[in-house]
Amino acid sequence: MKWILFAWKNVMRNKRRSLTAMLITAMGTAAVLIGGGFALFTYESLEEMTARDSGHVVLAAARGFDNDEDVPLQHGLIGAAALAAHYGTQQGVRAVAPRIQFSGLISNGDKSAVFVGSGVDPAVDFRLRGPQLNFVAGEAPGPSEAVPEVAIGDELATLMKAKVGGSLTLLATTTEGNLNAVDVVVRGIVKTGVPDIDRRLVMTDIRAVQRLLLTDKVGSLAIYLKDTAQTEAIAAQVKAANPELAVRTWRDLAVFYQAVRALYNRIFGILGLIMVVIVAFAMSNTLGMAVVERTREIGTLRAIGTQPGEVVRNFVLEGVAIGTAGAAIGMLAAGLTTLGLIFAGLEMPPPPGRSTGYPLLLSFSPALYLGATLVVVALAAAAAWFVSRRAAHKPITEALAHV
Amino acid sequence: MNAPTLELPVRSATVRLTDLRKRYRVGDDWAEALKGVSLTAAAGEMVALTGPSGSGKSTLLNLAGLIDTPDAGTREIAGHAVDGLDDAALTNLRREQVGFIFQGFNLVPVMNVADNVEYPLLLLGRPPAERRRKVAEMLESTGLAGFAGRLPDALSGGQRQRVAIARALVKSPSLVIADEPTANLDSHTAQQIVDLLRELSHERGAAVVVATHDERMSAHCDRVLRLADGELVKGERQ
Repeated sequence: MKWILFAWKNVMRNKRRSLTAMLITAMGTAAVLIGGGFALFTYESLEEMTARDSGHVVLAAARGFDNDEDVPLQHGLIGAAALAAHYGTQQGVRAVAPRIQFSGLISNGDKSAVFVGSGVDPAVDFRLRGPQLNFVAGEAPGPSEAVPEVAIGDELATLMKAKVGGSLTLLATTTEGNLNAVDVVVRGIVKTGVPDIDRRLVMTDIRAVQRLLLTDKVGSLAIYLKDTAQTEAIAAQVKAANPELAVRTWRDLAVFYQAVRALYNRIFGILGLIMVVIVAFAMSNTLGMAVVERTREIGTLRAIGTQPGEVVRNFVLEGVAIGTAGAAIGMLAAGLTTLGLIFAGLEMPPPPGRSTGYPLLLSFSPALYLGATLVVVALAAAAAWFVSRRAAHKPITEALAHV
Repeated sequence: MNAPTLELPVRSATVRLTDLRKRYRVGDDWAEALKGVSLTAAAGEMVALTGPSGSGKSTLLNLAGLIDTPDAGTREIAGHAVDGLDDAALTNLRREQVGFIFQGFNLVPVMNVADNVEYPLLLLGRPPAERRRKVAEMLESTGLAGFAGRLPDALSGGQRQRVAIARALVKSPSLVIADEPTANLDSHTAQQIVDLLRELSHERGAAVVVATHDERMSAHCDRVLRLADGELVKGERQ
């Protein structure tokens, strides 16, 4: 305790210089925590978005993910209802939703456009996708009626001049290679924020799609879990129980998520590295000047019996004190920024390929805060060790003669 | 052949320096700072080293205080043969057996008076209660009892040198090295410091080797040894 107190008194010996080092350390810590918090929030949001879109674990027929079908659902999944019923009751499973991805032409009688459709279970999908499907008009389609209901993208609605309650016709190739058509009623108009999707999106009850494609197969079965962290464990169980099927996790299917994560890891990794250099430089500069100024004092302490290692330890404690104080201030600043952004309601501009922004928020991660603090303190200690070790080993007579 | 040394027999020697030689490089040449000097000092004895600047006083003090290494000769402090010890062992020996008093006081400015005096005991790993007791005793002995919480900057020169004496003697060392301890003090204060150093070193049985130009200081020492050009030229018991 005496040594820590001694170190702190030495830190306070030149308040302005120590405070400058603390503030630089604090800024570095805050920058890393704010940048890291933003990256974590982005990862979590993308994880949530991707898992809500695809399901946490996705089952398909053996070649169901190969995308090389001659006709629609050539590699479709048979017996999906039994699988859905089985996994729907498993522990940790929130819901199971069958899916069919299909495409064709959509027509209002006057003109046609290409659509990319998704056959879903209305009772499950529209509930689970949550805020991802922003209904700008109408509401989610219900179960298949004689005239099926659809939700379409807002840009497609504009193109088709479709309004809620209006009729459209879907034309698609059946599983037998023939053309088939079905009249549908627009029940809702959605905006996903991705113009490419909103220009082509059609969602409807999967049973209507099966009638259109003349099949009882489904494209895939999406298993939604209560806890995303269980994804790998459940996927392994499903794979083991169904070796004849193909099993993918949301992470396997999330190309965008993986790309963003790789990009952000690189960007924030470099930012972290820059901060490390700045903090190390500030700390070395501050403690280096202290060492030079106190060379004679070091000589005195050495003369009266202080070992070189003890001299270095005292400087390391000073570095740790500055680093800890700086990290504490940085954590406080980052914490307040995290809280402030919750109330500020700021929005990030739309990323490339999207038409809507997303909230500017930071995730609070105790592990990140602890890690950043440990790095900063270790860096300060290392800098102090580096700058003081030579002075501590300087011949005592030389140190005492230092002016 | 050894250079001539003048040394008088003393009681059982706490410090025994024999035929010490030291030279320094000055440009391309070597300057001999000590040419085979021998010195002994007994417990409680105060030995003054006098002589002009450059005579080798400081070099001899540094060698006696184990903060420098001779080119030749042997040293013995409190029964420990010193030569051949590594830096860590020498530091430990200084920690236990040697106290220093510097001309410029050399107190740690961020430590108050009590902390400066306590520092050598802290190095020795003495328990807190013992440290507190010894520091209180030492401050009482040096007339600093009311100044324990003051920083060195808030003290007069005489008071600072008293703190330095307290710091040097608090661990009851075998040897105290004092380099011009009265040089920065007025005559009245210098006299007080000399008296105090003499009294405490006698009381605690420490041998004191003091380098000084101050005749008032040397007048109070048990022996005065004069150095000139790296050699002892005169020795007298007072």
